[in-house]
Amino acid sequence: MIDLARVGAISDPDGDGRAGGGACDDRIRVTLRLAGERLAEVRFGADACASATAAMARLAALAEGRTLLDAARLGRADVGDVDSPACALTAVDALHAALGDAVVRGAGAAPDATRVGVAMSGGVDSALVLAEAVDEGRAALGLTLRLWIDPAAPAPERACCAPDSVRRARDLCHALGVPHLMLDLREPFRAAVVDPFVAGYAAGETPNPCATCNGAFRFDALDGVATRLGCTEWRTGHYARLVERDGRFLVARGADPLKDQSAMLALVDPGILGRVRLPLGDRVKAAVVGDARGRGLAAADAPESQEVCFLGGGALAPFLARQGVALGAGPIVDEEGAVLGAHAGAVAYTPGQRRGLGVSRGTEPLHVLRVEPATNTVVVGRLSRLGRRAVPLRDVVVHAPAERVEACFRVRAEPIPGVLEPDGRGGAVVRLVRDAYQAAPGQVCVLYDGDCVVAAGVVAG
Amino acid sequence: MIYLDHAATAPPDPRVADAMLPHLTGRVGNPSEPHAAGRRARADLEAARAGIGALLGHERVVLTSGGTEADNLAVLGRAAGAPGRMVISALEHPAVLRPAEALAARGWELAVAPVLADGRIDVAALAELVRSGDALCCAMGASNITGVVQPIAAIAELCAERGVPLHVDHVQTAAGADASIAGLPGCVTIAVAAHKLGGPRGVGALVGAVDGLAPLAYGGGQEAGLRPGTEDVVGAVGLAAALALRQGPAAGDERARRAALRDALEARLGLPVAGGSAPRLPGHLLLLTGFRGDTAVRLLDDRGVCVAAGSACASGEPAPEPALLAMGLDAAAARGAVRVTLGPETTQADIDGFADAWAAVAADLARAREALA
Repeated sequence: MIDLARVGAISDPDGDGRAGGGACDDRIRVTLRLAGERLAEVRFGADACASATAAMARLAALAEGRTLLDAARLGRADVGDVDSPACALTAVDALHAALGDAVVRGAGAAPDATRVGVAMSGGVDSALVLAEAVDEGRAALGLTLRLWIDPAAPAPERACCAPDSVRRARDLCHALGVPHLMLDLREPFRAAVVDPFVAGYAAGETPNPCATCNGAFRFDALDGVATRLGCTEWRTGHYARLVERDGRFLVARGADPLKDQSAMLALVDPGILGRVRLPLGDRVKAAVVGDARGRGLAAADAPESQEVCFLGGGALAPFLARQGVALGAGPIVDEEGAVLGAHAGAVAYTPGQRRGLGVSRGTEPLHVLRVEPATNTVVVGRLSRLGRRAVPLRDVVVHAPAERVEACFRVRAEPIPGVLEPDGRGGAVVRLVRDAYQAAPGQVCVLYDGDCVVAAGVVAG
Repeated sequence: MIYLDHAATAPPDPRVADAMLPHLTGRVGNPSEPHAAGRRARADLEAARAGIGALLGHERVVLTSGGTEADNLAVLGRAAGAPGRMVISALEHPAVLRPAEALAARGWELAVAPVLADGRIDVAALAELVRSGDALCCAMGASNITGVVQPIAAIAELCAERGVPLHVDHVQTAAGADASIAGLPGCVTIAVAAHKLGGPRGVGALVGAVDGLAPLAYGGGQEAGLRPGTEDVVGAVGLAAALALRQGPAAGDERARRAALRDALEARLGLPVAGGSAPRLPGHLLLLTGFRGDTAVRLLDDRGVCVAAGSACASGEPAPEPALLAMGLDAAAARGAVRVTLGPETTQADIDGFADAWAAVAADLARAREALA
């Protein structure tokens, strides 16, 4: 029996979510009305197959009357006996889209000292963090940000917040009886991260979107949501540590040198780090995977997201083209202006790059020295021409004062000792004891004092 | 409950059950045994076979477990030799399509004849495809989806001209139109199944020019070696009795009554109908609802009405009915298909009940769709 009592749409709802549109073009919409923390009304609309419609009717009936967090426990195990369980997932997606939308619109939960948020990607690291929080007896709450989907990407499912990853994160939570909320922040993410990334490349820079995302977007969003949902702390699966110094927390290198993600967190506001826990900072990846396998976590062998998440498994140039960046053939020249070859779009090249140039001059290896978007020209030369000891920075943030620093321009590059000289106007110059060759404009320069991130800025020129 | 899914299976007709009952309760005997019990079973079996053959226009009758086995025997039975070529229509039931595809996977060349927009096999295109030397041509007698009655006489003629055997799946046809092959030229076989006719499930027959077929199974040599295994006397009696009701001299009046009910329902609903401009089986109505057919079917079921969806999802993948796509319908229209099939016991009250239930379900589906906006 498909219960149609909850067919309808609430006008001016507190939560509104949609799902579907895949191969079978099933479409479902869920609207919610809240009374306090409870879902006073759940209504749905559907143009969908029998399995999806039946699942939706059942989920709506189960969700109505529950608190938001309790409704967030409903998932694929609750859809009832349907002919096509795969179709029923559209109904689960729609309910969760509406629950997440309610949170985005401001719904929350009273503070609970036992509640801990866990940022879930669907991968193994956050899965283990979640499982350990549950073991501690904490009231865990899974949180996944849906930031990007680019159906034109060659492998859209490899984006970190692709629908399958979100479903995996949700299933991991539900398997442990934990509520899961998915927050659709695609529009603000585009404005805060993707547009600047695209504009940076179009201007011939080499932006560092992960640091920007965590620093200017992701951690703020997660902290806001976790706090609103009554979490006293929240956790992520990053391989970095938090170190208390002079009453505030600094990000420090993780114990696994191959996985260290401290640079990615270099721009995170230290003001929120007091509520953040990074349980994997003292662990190595292999042990984490081993623990996850030992627990039988479904994510133990999930694909690893290494690249920039929104590239979706593709190369940079086609992504930029999809985002409207004009890419055309142009010359590769040396510093004297002699044409050595041709490229398919200058802005997809980055200073220091050697591979993929296809040009030579005698036997010396040639590197990209700079990109000139105005003339669509790539200038190449000897690596030594990139070396410099004074690197200008903009958008500098200083988390803790430090006389001597070590500067990192690339993940896992050898740090270079130096000093930071702020100009008092948000800029600075970092003076180094030896030449840096990889300080490409747009890159984030992370400044360490020992293992601690004490400052960071964007290479200005 | 209102049962309007006769094309899936028809309710048992009590007259068929009456004919079968003596054979279920008391009569024993293996028709292959020469003793008295065996001889009586043999006589009952051959009487049933003769009845089936007389109604369907050919004395060669191979009893099978149903329509699917009969179709498989007709297709695979022509393919015992080296891989050759076969032509089928785009309308064929999986009982024909799948064995043909299995042959294609073994190196056979398989040509598929297109369908016209009105649901009929494109005879002109078929004439181009069928070549002398082909091992077989398959054309179903009436579509199980739309109920459109196919131009079998013309197809039989063109196959006969080319010397190509023709197999006709008459499983649906036998329930509502003349399924006899008497007078058809060339080498023709047909498949029928008792349960579509008010007879028992688990019995069917392949009738016609079965000489030269290779069996699918080997055993005691029954059914002229084409279908070994102790014969199902009671099943044969049931098939013969059911065929007598649907193909006998009194069948015409009942078909006319059914068609009148169907036509009135069609006019009352006012929905687009697949195959509506072609000759159709009298109890067959394929509605293009514009909603999701499988969802509509579930909601009708919740209101006590049994009908069939034209298409259903399989593991998250939409599977619009190929026969509808072959007519040129798009996937969205095909997904909206709801099949309503009437039978001899269908009454005006059933039709009224369906129409009322449909009005309510259509309103529900429209409301659910509006809530998406």
